[in-house]
Amino acid sequence: MAFLELDGLTKSYGSLTVVKGVNLAVDKGKLVCLLGPSGCGKTTTLRLIAGFVPANAGEIRVGGKTISSAHSTVPPEGRNMSMIFQSYALWPHMTVFENVAYGLKLRRLPQSEVTKSVRTILSATQLLPLENRYPGELSGGQQQRVSLARALVIKPEILLLDEPLSNLDANLREEMRFEIRRLHDEFRYTTVYVTHDQAEAMTTADMIVVMNDGRIEQAGSPEDIYERPETEFVARFIGGTNILSGTRGDKDSVVGEGGLVLRCGSGSTAASGKTAVSVRHHDIELSSAKPKSADTNVTVGTVTRQIYLGSHRDYLVSIAGGETVRTVAPVNVAIPVGQEVWLHFPPEKCRALAQ
Amino acid sequence: MTSDIQVQALPVQGRRRSIDFSWPTFALLTLVLSVLVLLPLFWLVYYSFRSDTGAGATFANYIALVADPTLLRAYGLAIGMALAVGVLACIIATPMAWLVARTDLPGRRTIRMLVTASFVTPPFLGAIAYEILAAPNSGIVNIMYRSVFGLEASEYLVNIYTFSGLVFAIACFTFPYVFTLVANALDKVPSDLEDASSILGGKSMTTLRKVTIPLVLPAMLAGTLIAILQALTMFGSPAILALPAGFHVITTKIWSLFQFPPRLGLAAAAALPLLIITVILLRAQKSILGRKGYTVLGGKSGTPRITELGPWKWPAIAFVFCVLSLTIILPYLAIIKTAFTGTVGDPINLSTLTLSHWRFVLFEFSATQLALRNTFLLGFLTATAVTAIALIVSYLVIRRSVPGSGFLGVLATAPVAIPGIVLGVGLFLSYANPTFQLYGTIWILLIAFMTIELPAGYQQMSSAFSGVHPELEEAGRIVGASRLRTLWDITAPLLRTSVVAAWCFVFVGTIRELSATILLTTANTKLVSVIIYDLNESGDLGAICVLGIILLAASFAVVFIANRVPVLGGSQMNTRG
Repeated sequence: MAFLELDGLTKSYGSLTVVKGVNLAVDKGKLVCLLGPSGCGKTTTLRLIAGFVPANAGEIRVGGKTISSAHSTVPPEGRNMSMIFQSYALWPHMTVFENVAYGLKLRRLPQSEVTKSVRTILSATQLLPLENRYPGELSGGQQQRVSLARALVIKPEILLLDEPLSNLDANLREEMRFEIRRLHDEFRYTTVYVTHDQAEAMTTADMIVVMNDGRIEQAGSPEDIYERPETEFVARFIGGTNILSGTRGDKDSVVGEGGLVLRCGSGSTAASGKTAVSVRHHDIELSSAKPKSADTNVTVGTVTRQIYLGSHRDYLVSIAGGETVRTVAPVNVAIPVGQEVWLHFPPEKCRALAQ
Repeated sequence: MTSDIQVQALPVQGRRRSIDFSWPTFALLTLVLSVLVLLPLFWLVYYSFRSDTGAGATFANYIALVADPTLLRAYGLAIGMALAVGVLACIIATPMAWLVARTDLPGRRTIRMLVTASFVTPPFLGAIAYEILAAPNSGIVNIMYRSVFGLEASEYLVNIYTFSGLVFAIACFTFPYVFTLVANALDKVPSDLEDASSILGGKSMTTLRKVTIPLVLPAMLAGTLIAILQALTMFGSPAILALPAGFHVITTKIWSLFQFPPRLGLAAAAALPLLIITVILLRAQKSILGRKGYTVLGGKSGTPRITELGPWKWPAIAFVFCVLSLTIILPYLAIIKTAFTGTVGDPINLSTLTLSHWRFVLFEFSATQLALRNTFLLGFLTATAVTAIALIVSYLVIRRSVPGSGFLGVLATAPVAIPGIVLGVGLFLSYANPTFQLYGTIWILLIAFMTIELPAGYQQMSSAFSGVHPELEEAGRIVGASRLRTLWDITAPLLRTSVVAAWCFVFVGTIRELSATILLTTANTKLVSVIIYDLNESGDLGAICVLGIILLAASFAVVFIANRVPVLGGSQMNTRG
């Protein structure tokens, strides 16, 4: 049985429903990323798990015990969780040591034990030399690590992270991603991590849960999400992609508006009406002559934009039917704007999307 | 939305059941604030429909309001005076604010400090200082004028007991409102907005006219409105300067209706328009300042651009020095001189220096000791009560822990629209009756001061609370602290500085209050401000100046101590939210 379970979890503010019947099961020791655009309900879901907001319907269970339901909510302090906040929420009137020790003191541990645990976690996060500083005297990355140390030192059953890296600059953010994953591998807490940054999710997560408009679009491993998106939203949100719409052809093919027939190696088409195909930018093969090998999955178009980016060239090609396809090609494939170009969409890279 | 409050009360696995105080606190505070704010207003309206001669409902008071020429004249003069004060304050303060905020004028920080310090001067003390300086017979300026030119005793240069004298004296003590708002706005106008105008080809005068001035215009207007409002609702200065000049403004007129034979119904009816004008002015001010994005600002932008005065430096210094002399230096010198010499007209030399006024005030005049005790006791009680109430109300409002808590915020802010004299009338009508019998006790004064100071206290506390990020409290909860524990360990220490500041602010505001006090004191509950007013009637300026110095010294001492003692929140650490 999963350790943390969300069952039909729903939250509304007045007439606005922000979390709409979310179901999720997280195994013990796993790191789950809730990923989605702002306003998708991921942060509210996290705050529901933390107990800061009560649920309107559904349940949250930890180890089989219900901690949130429509009738009762265990307050945050009774949940044995800890959380890392977007603002870090370090108490400015306490030193680094006091910040980290606070949770342990609440648990009435003897002073010697408190000191020992705090020192251990501070050295794991490379903060030991800074233990007597106030938060105002630390850099952003150091504040972030104090926040991590404070959350980890109490040995929570579940660790919650709310966009923990959004206040850091780009370089530090990348470094901290690996740091979070390293600490997770070391301590193995069941972790729920909220972010809107797909690279962050890819680096850190065992399982990614893509949310949109209060619902879960898709949950799975990073590979699942990237290579086998179920919906157009997921395909677009995780890594850039081209979405070509059309109607269902025979078997596994989709016929585009300009007559382009795309055979799809995976996915499923809609039973009737419109359906779509997702092809990643870098999976499209671009050439100035018609490829000989294929008779389907090939079309001709006109280059409307070409940009040299050092490692590759970025192309926009408009094809019959009025659609525009974005693709990348090696630097030596240089086709000027306005010229005709052939595009090959390898079937194994075409994923049919029912919705 | 179901609140997390009910949820709090539920038993928690393996933990103590926590009792939730939010609802009872909310109910109690709603009751207290309603009594403080709504009750006086209710009686005010009620009595305005009561006949002063007999029982029964009547419109006679309202008819008198439009028919009685003395009332109409008092309103007309008050409005005229207030507008004149507003214009004068704006004309003095705006150039000064620009000089201080945006030029290389020497001593800018000191000037700013001095102007801010003049906030502490009670306006009635300023009026008395100008009596000492510019009364037609005994005023120092006129005495010097006569002795220099050898003129008759009936000649004089300036006369403060006139309409223009009153406008001048009030403007001297209201211009800091305009100055502070405009100077702060100028500080905040990012220099890149002006740079943007320059790069597009705007000359420096064009930039000033098209960019800088429009950006601070709202602050100017808002400050002017506040100055107008202050002048309109002020009691002390008009009572000291307008009555000898032989005219009434509305506040003094309302007060005169309380003299024998009292005409309470008419006083109530006369007070209501003042209340309505105040509400309108405050709304106007809010809508001017409230259009965010116009004056605001923010973002990363360089320091404000500084204009080099060059040859204009000396005229600028002369202007600023002139303003500071008239508003701060001369009045204070006059007060100090009078406190230490026999009579106002005495020249200063060793033979005229005397401590007799001090001896009189501190040891001989029986009323002053009682008044000093009452004043400081009330200051202490009011500051403590207001700070405590403001603290709890702002917590409930900002953290929205109880549905409907926004209403409490409205109640706590509402008294800002009730002029002191109007509140005085309302409280008199509410509590000086056989049911309560509070008239003649200090409790009616405590109620008055709490109501008057509540908005200021609430404003300070709620801005302090919004400075404490809710995640700081949530971080406490999630590592295992209960709501109360979090408040105690985390919120309280972070708010300490603001609490002390709010306390001082209320204390200083209380010990100088006169408008409501004048209607609510009796011989047993005299306060220093009232004694000053009484002594002015008997012409004992030396004693007044001694009392004024004591009041000012107490105000500055409180502010100083609060800033220095670390336990009280002197800055000993970096408080980043």
